[in-house]
Amino acid sequence: MLKFLGRRLLGLIPILFFVSVLIFLFVHLIPGDPARLLAGADASYSDIAAVRSRLGLDKPILAQYLSYVSNMFHGNLGTSFRTGRPVVSEIGDRFMPTLLLTLVSMLWSFIVALVVGVISTIKKDKWQDYTVRFGALSGISLPSFWLGLMLMQLFSVQLHWLPTVGFNSWKGIILPSLTLGSGIAAVLARFTRASLQEVLQEDYTRTARAKGLAYNLVIWKHALRNALIPVVTMAGLQFGYLLGGSVVVETVFSWPGEGRLLIDSVGFRDYPVIQGEMLLFALEFILINVLVDILYAVLNPQIRLE
Amino acid sequence: MGRILFRFSAAVSMLFALTAAGFAQGAATAPKDIVIANNANFVSLDPQDTNDNISFSAEKAIYQGLLGFDKDMKLVGVLATDWVASPNAKKFTFHLRKGVSFQDGTPFDAAAVKVNIDRLADPANKLKRHSLFDQVEKTVVDNEYTVSVYLKAPFGAMLNNFSHPGAMMISPKALQDYGKDIFKHPVGTGPYLFKDWVTGDHLTLVKNPNYWGGPVNYNSITFRSIPEDGTRVAMLQSGEADFIYPVPTEQLQVLAGQGGIVVKHDPTVGIQYASMNTMKKPFTDIRVRQALNYAVDKDAFIKVVFNGIAGTATSCLAPNTRFYSPQTPYPYDPAKAKKLLAEAGYPNGFETTLWVGTMSVSIKAAQFLQQQLAMVGVNMKIESLESGTMANKIWNVADPKDATIQMYYGSWTPSTADADWGMRPILGGTMIPPKGYNTAYFQNKEVNADIQAGLDSADVATRKAAYEKAQKTIWNEAPWIFLSVPQNIYAYKDSLQDVNLLPDGTLSVYSLN
Repeated sequence: MLKFLGRRLLGLIPILFFVSVLIFLFVHLIPGDPARLLAGADASYSDIAAVRSRLGLDKPILAQYLSYVSNMFHGNLGTSFRTGRPVVSEIGDRFMPTLLLTLVSMLWSFIVALVVGVISTIKKDKWQDYTVRFGALSGISLPSFWLGLMLMQLFSVQLHWLPTVGFNSWKGIILPSLTLGSGIAAVLARFTRASLQEVLQEDYTRTARAKGLAYNLVIWKHALRNALIPVVTMAGLQFGYLLGGSVVVETVFSWPGEGRLLIDSVGFRDYPVIQGEMLLFALEFILINVLVDILYAVLNPQIRLE
Repeated sequence: MGRILFRFSAAVSMLFALTAAGFAQGAATAPKDIVIANNANFVSLDPQDTNDNISFSAEKAIYQGLLGFDKDMKLVGVLATDWVASPNAKKFTFHLRKGVSFQDGTPFDAAAVKVNIDRLADPANKLKRHSLFDQVEKTVVDNEYTVSVYLKAPFGAMLNNFSHPGAMMISPKALQDYGKDIFKHPVGTGPYLFKDWVTGDHLTLVKNPNYWGGPVNYNSITFRSIPEDGTRVAMLQSGEADFIYPVPTEQLQVLAGQGGIVVKHDPTVGIQYASMNTMKKPFTDIRVRQALNYAVDKDAFIKVVFNGIAGTATSCLAPNTRFYSPQTPYPYDPAKAKKLLAEAGYPNGFETTLWVGTMSVSIKAAQFLQQQLAMVGVNMKIESLESGTMANKIWNVADPKDATIQMYYGSWTPSTADADWGMRPILGGTMIPPKGYNTAYFQNKEVNADIQAGLDSADVATRKAAYEKAQKTIWNEAPWIFLSVPQNIYAYKDSLQDVNLLPDGTLSVYSLN
């Protein structure tokens, strides 16, 4: 286990380096001149030239690349073109809000998905099953910006129960996490249902039933655990995406997370912040994959981490 | 690992703190604390290094300049009580208000002004607003409350540069203490003090108890960045925001007629136009350019594209711009347009391409123009370009002969609200790309001479005459299809006082009078 972890974490270094080179090239290939965008709509030629030289964009691309790499090896991701603040603090400030929203959304949607998925399996082709399937389809299909604005109209404008936006109170996280989690809950519920039904066809579950175990016990203790493997894979992927910040939900609820930062940065061609964000996302995805691999082994002891 | 643990425990303690804050907030809702929701993030709180109106809006509550604009863009004295410009527009002397202190206690005097103008004028500081003061030769302290600024060359529009928010005064002590970090530690002479700023979330200012101008309206002002239009509207409806801007035209109906909410719209200093590349056929011919002006029904354009909320362009400048002079409109007359096109040798029209950004309202405008021009036989293709790509296509062209631009839909808002910056960058001969924004590649000797005459004098009558002449020539030469004057749309609770969105797009949270 430790050996596995060590190897996977060491493997991070070359991957991140490779990713960083790719990111640098991609970012500089996007058309658009950051100096012109930053200098503002009615900037004069000399203003733009001043901004360009301040950002170091008047240097040859190779020189820019070398300083980027050498800075990176010193743990310095540079400073934001737009705000002049270090990239690490720009991204760091947005990390907690995104993590908080992701954890809350994932938590409720995972639990709901499991319960609902199981109910739907137990009551297969009964009204409960149809309700769940209808709900899941709606959850997947509803655009989140629409859902968010509707929830806001209902709970904030009409009922005055919850604030429209607001990262500064616990009530403020309810609507964004409902909006963000509904799609995930729907996907995971469908995965749980499908996977569980498959497992219930297996010989060992039939054996368990045959030896007289209660149906509920078979489902919750024997079948569900094995059925979870594809669900966990899916949840891991979703988790990775969410950690990148949900642009739509963060925009609708004005949540100060990574997604909005990335969009703003792309709009201004804020190269250092875009590069920092991409590196962070790559790192998060790799770590989540490691975590998912470990969870496989926990769920099914037959799987060895080698 | 320690760091991760720290982060995790920080997260948990934050959750608890948030819970506590949630309850506290519910209990204390004093009516004197207001929330203003706008659509973008703050970038800086150093006015001399700012170029976005969102940042200027907060800065204008903290800082003040020697001069300023009132809510109708009239130039007024703020930290200067009176001022004299030499007739040749090279020397500007200001008499300063006495008894004013910066928020950190530093006295406001001529020496403080010199520190600020020197900072702006020095190109080595690479400030975004350096160009407002790049003509400054030196700044001289005449006595404690008199200061003179000397220019290298005449610049008749200089007083408007002094009124620009980019020329607001920063405490010299704060500049020394914070250096480059002044952008997050603002200290000015204004009615509100900086309290806190969480990037991407909010910025809070509180009352300056020692404000020289007397009592201050609000105990605190919180600015919130709300990018989604519908969310801003919901915040005003639910009472969480007191003032929201911009309000998209589609949301006007939602808010209009709701009790306790005022929706307003008034003209900006901007102008919307479709430029024609006057160096390329068929736009080399004045008859073609005029024909296109006759071919477009501007009233219908405004109804269709802006739900009727915009003014008709009556010059190349907006009416709120200094030295604006109204021209005789080109009436909607497709028959006359066809006749002019035939005279110019295009009886069956021609093909052309219009470049436009990606905003849906701009594309709507382009489609309307396309439909109107088709009626007179002009087949205009629309190319919608992302801003970075557009910038490359326009400004990566060194020689006008290589320019591929034909028509371009754009707008211009001169932040100084003066005729010079309203005309020179977009229609001046020295400002064709890559130097400036003259996308019509408009080169007219008379106009160039008039623009220069306006710069060479500080005498109001001389400048007025020069710009009147220039506007007349430009209107007749028709390098653009003159379209509309956009409006600021904003909404607020009717209990709110003295919060105004100015024609230049910045917010003013107190009255300058």
